[in-house]
Amino acid sequence: MNADPQKKSRARKRLFILVAVILGLLAVNVAVPRKKVPPYVSARTLKDLAELATVQYSVTKIVSYKDVAWYGDRKILFETAATVKAGIDLNELADQDIRLEGDRAVTISLPRPKILLFNMKPEHMREIFNESGILRSNFSNQEKDGLLSQGEKDIRAKVAGMNLLERAARNARTLIESWLTKTGFKTVHVVFKGKGGRP
Amino acid sequence: MKKILSLLNLIALLAILLLLYSPLAKIGLLPSLPSLFRSGTPKIEETPAIIQQVKNIAQMFTQTFYDEYVYDTGVMRTPPFNANKRLIFIAKGEVIAGFDLSELNEKSIIRRDKSIVVKLPPARILDVVINPSGFETFLEEGEITFEESKKFREDARRIFDRNARDKGILKNSAAQGRQMLEKFFHLLGFETVDIIIPESR
Repeated sequence: MNADPQKKSRARKRLFILVAVILGLLAVNVAVPRKKVPPYVSARTLKDLAELATVQYSVTKIVSYKDVAWYGDRKILFETAATVKAGIDLNELADQDIRLEGDRAVTISLPRPKILLFNMKPEHMREIFNESGILRSNFSNQEKDGLLSQGEKDIRAKVAGMNLLERAARNARTLIESWLTKTGFKTVHVVFKGKGGRP
Repeated sequence: MKKILSLLNLIALLAILLLLYSPLAKIGLLPSLPSLFRSGTPKIEETPAIIQQVKNIAQMFTQTFYDEYVYDTGVMRTPPFNANKRLIFIAKGEVIAGFDLSELNEKSIIRRDKSIVVKLPPARILDVVINPSGFETFLEEGEITFEESKKFREDARRIFDRNARDKGILKNSAAQGRQMLEKFFHLLGFETVDIIIPESR
């Protein structure tokens, strides 16, 4: 007879404790500040460069994405294009990299070429296909940006294997030889640092 | 009564779990609750990158201008129902200025013993770069088409170009070009180096 009221009072006590814990945790939640986003820092700055771009590649890529689900699909297709320029960073050219042999002969050790610029202009992008099922939302700008950024990353990775740097080195050699011949040098040797031979 | 109390106990336990999770998510130790229900990053399909053109160039980059700009289209009303549309995005990129040295010809370099005169073309803006990874959508209201979004981005590029000119990129570019070539020709043994650069328009 007495057991039931005892159980009830125990259950009420437990509930009271739980409510007290909840109130305590609520207070903690209010007190804990949200993780702060780093402040917006403006990067509006001018910086000196000393780079010589010697080759430009124009590359295209189709960016396609299919979001397949049982309640409907979403599909999108873009045509994208990028311009990549490669050449040498003349900041890496040290005084000892230019060796004069008399008045009319010179040997220049150039730094190895690298990709100097990657540019995917909005005007060179085209949305070819975009379709969403009735139960699906349309692709937002943010989603499209995410997909195009992946396309950009992919082109950057693939450009490295396109003989771009070898061509940049070859053109840099031709350019420097031609300019220095114009300035009156009879013999001009252009070599690349790290490797002695012709690229 | 007993059943109600058990149910209340269960609800209270769930609330406690939620309240324990929430501050940890707030300080970044656990992922936020909404992110648990979001699907992962979409992956594009594997397609090749095709070279369309290879061009030999001779461009000297002498100045870069890094910029960030918040672009707000403002509220746009679209017919026939006058629905409101608005896009705010942050654009990050750079403007590159320098010289197109392919414009140099035989008459551009004059040498007399240990003196040299080099006539460069005027410094100009060679590239404005804002790649897809440089755009961040902050607010998107209503249906904004890709073509509309493209126009706003092209406009952002024009703003970058204008900001760079206002900051004096062409003047700095000419100064840096002159300094760089003077040093280069001095290292080549020239005692007097004269770099002539016409003023940029």
